[in-house]
Amino acid sequence: MIKLEGVHKHFGHLQVLKEIDLQVATGEKLVVIGPSGSGKSTLIRCINLLEKPSYGRVIVDGVEITAHKAPVHKVRQSIGMVFQQFNLYPHKTVLENLTLAPTLIRKVSREEAESTGMRYLERVGLKEKAGAYPSQLSGGQQQRVAIARALNMHPKIMLFDEPTSALDPEMIKEVLDVMIDLAHEGITMVVVTHEMSFAKEVGDRVIFMDEGVILEDGPPEHFFNNPTQERTKAFLSRILR
Amino acid sequence: MVGPFAWFKWEALLKDGNVFIEGFGITALVAVLALGVALALGVIFGMLGASHWKFAKRASRCYVEFIQNTPLVIQVFFLYNGLPKIGIVLPVLWVGVIGVGVYHGAYIAEVIRAGIQAIPKGQREAALSQGFNYWEAMRYIILPQAQRIVFPPLTNQAVFLIKNTSVMAMVAGGDLMYRADSWSSGNIYYGPAYVVTGLLYFILCFPLAQLARHLERRAEVSA
Amino acid sequence: MKKWISICAILVLSGSFLVISSLAATNDAPEVKAIKDRGVLKVGVKVDVPNFGYRDPKTNKIDGFEIEIARVIAQKILGNKNKLALQGVTAKTRGPLLDNNELDLVIATFTITEERKLSYNFSDPYFTDGVGLLVKKKPGYKSLKDLDGKKIGVAQSATSRAAVQAEADKLGIKVEFLEFATYPEIKAALDSGRVDGFSVDVAILSGYVDKSTVILPERFSPQNYGVASKKSNEGLAALVNETIVGLKNSGQLDKLIKKWKLK
Repeated sequence: MIKLEGVHKHFGHLQVLKEIDLQVATGEKLVVIGPSGSGKSTLIRCINLLEKPSYGRVIVDGVEITAHKAPVHKVRQSIGMVFQQFNLYPHKTVLENLTLAPTLIRKVSREEAESTGMRYLERVGLKEKAGAYPSQLSGGQQQRVAIARALNMHPKIMLFDEPTSALDPEMIKEVLDVMIDLAHEGITMVVVTHEMSFAKEVGDRVIFMDEGVILEDGPPEHFFNNPTQERTKAFLSRILR
Repeated sequence: MVGPFAWFKWEALLKDGNVFIEGFGITALVAVLALGVALALGVIFGMLGASHWKFAKRASRCYVEFIQNTPLVIQVFFLYNGLPKIGIVLPVLWVGVIGVGVYHGAYIAEVIRAGIQAIPKGQREAALSQGFNYWEAMRYIILPQAQRIVFPPLTNQAVFLIKNTSVMAMVAGGDLMYRADSWSSGNIYYGPAYVVTGLLYFILCFPLAQLARHLERRAEVSA
Repeated sequence: MKKWISICAILVLSGSFLVISSLAATNDAPEVKAIKDRGVLKVGVKVDVPNFGYRDPKTNKIDGFEIEIARVIAQKILGNKNKLALQGVTAKTRGPLLDNNELDLVIATFTITEERKLSYNFSDPYFTDGVGLLVKKKPGYKSLKDLDGKKIGVAQSATSRAAVQAEADKLGIKVEFLEFATYPEIKAALDSGRVDGFSVDVAILSGYVDKSTVILPERFSPQNYGVASKKSNEGLAALVNETIVGLKNSGQLDKLIKKWKLK
């Protein structure tokens, strides 16, 4: 479903990604772990080209989106993304946040977008907030709306870029619960997170990044129990006690 | 005592009232059309200036710097007397509309660029991630949010624009200022002429200035 | 008897001397006294009309026919022809500057009209000129008649406009007038084709003739230039008029006109 070939990214002289090769199978749940500044956010943002690789190829669902004049906007429609800072549209109600892109871009009728939108809101437990504005919601509620917004485009892939990092501790669980619920479906997921419990419970595969390279790549048990690299061990000893 | 405001001068002005009313009409017309031009240019170049496309940014910069750093009177003089030398003879009304419109477009572009850049970049990224292209993201996500920030300074620009239409007097534009100059330099009844002209400009500008203040207060309350 | 006559003569002489000196005292109207106290005469003049009032860009000095008249008036009031403070004026500024007492006099190709006499004092004319038309050589205009339906640039002071309009009405043709604040602006408009003719008093116009332009032979209604002062300053106006009349009668005015090649 997702294939990165020799992806490099640098900002000026700073090398953020070095020769990344990565494949994600359809329906796979990939968890990306690593210290801050390791390049994991840049990696996930390369998948929908919010970050353009300096060189290398990115192929999503059979389309090489790094190619010249690739239909990037079209491909992005099938890739949902959830951000650390939620990024809901503050001038729109919750339901409008969900229906804006489907009606304008997918050309779905308003009725249909609203009915599927209400279903997703119900699923994230926020049906009664449909008419509220984002500023009236808590952080955890906003992030659940953001997930529902991405889902209402009926994506094949969901990208999560540290979805719980900006949340107060008591709100993390409500968001993770929604993500776990989602993982039980067949959708392909790439999740950048510091939530090790989530990685253990949901991840089919965990990659560990540091300084722009992938150091570990394997099932969660392997990663948590038998890390091969010294840096991985040092990282784990710092966050697991 | 024959002062600048002698009664017979007021009587003369009342008799020729339609001179001023016609001028007022032309000033209002040019202001409306020039505001349209300025808004269109301002929005386009404001968006280009806030974009990440290097060429567009540079083009926007050039326009803004060139226009902001040369006097309006020279730009209008060029449109009026310079363009005919290369065979382009714009009617004087359009000299006013284009001159004043292009001039204020540069200021409005800066207002809009600042407004766009005040919107967190996460908004643009969220829109792009959903499949909006740059222009759609601007239209549906960024500009509606920037609007609230941009409106008060934009209204102030409209006030400046109205007052600056008086530059047309220099090129025999038939506007309010021209009529006042023309009428009062013949008979030298400048006292009543400029008082009335000032009042007529005030009538055009004051409601807009009030609107700007109202919008500013509202933006403060909701911020 | 002789003695008696001589006493009478002395009485009459001393009497007339008293009358004359008291006359001289009343002659000093407040505004004239103010000028004398100040020690300098403030005069508004043209700075953009060659031979009348023109600031030489090289020396930055203003000189011309009208400046010489100002010198004569300064000589008359202050006894020194160089006690002058000159200020450049335009059609738009000359009226207000008089009303505000910023200027004592305006000597700036100011045409005398009945309407203007309601607001200001004018001296007898010191120069009379006709309105002329400057046109481009190219279209081959021969007279005003050829400018039917065309645009004519005039300065913002409607006397030349009225003069051309009256002539056009006589000929039964239609012309449109565009007004500008300064003469160089009209010339620019003529050069760019915004106007087809440039109309103002011939003496002024002659300063703007160049290779591509020509003054048509016609002259329209004569324009009389007068020295203007504030309406209430009648004492000053009388003094100025006396000076102008004196200049005329002595033939000195004609000499000045010749000196500045105005005829």
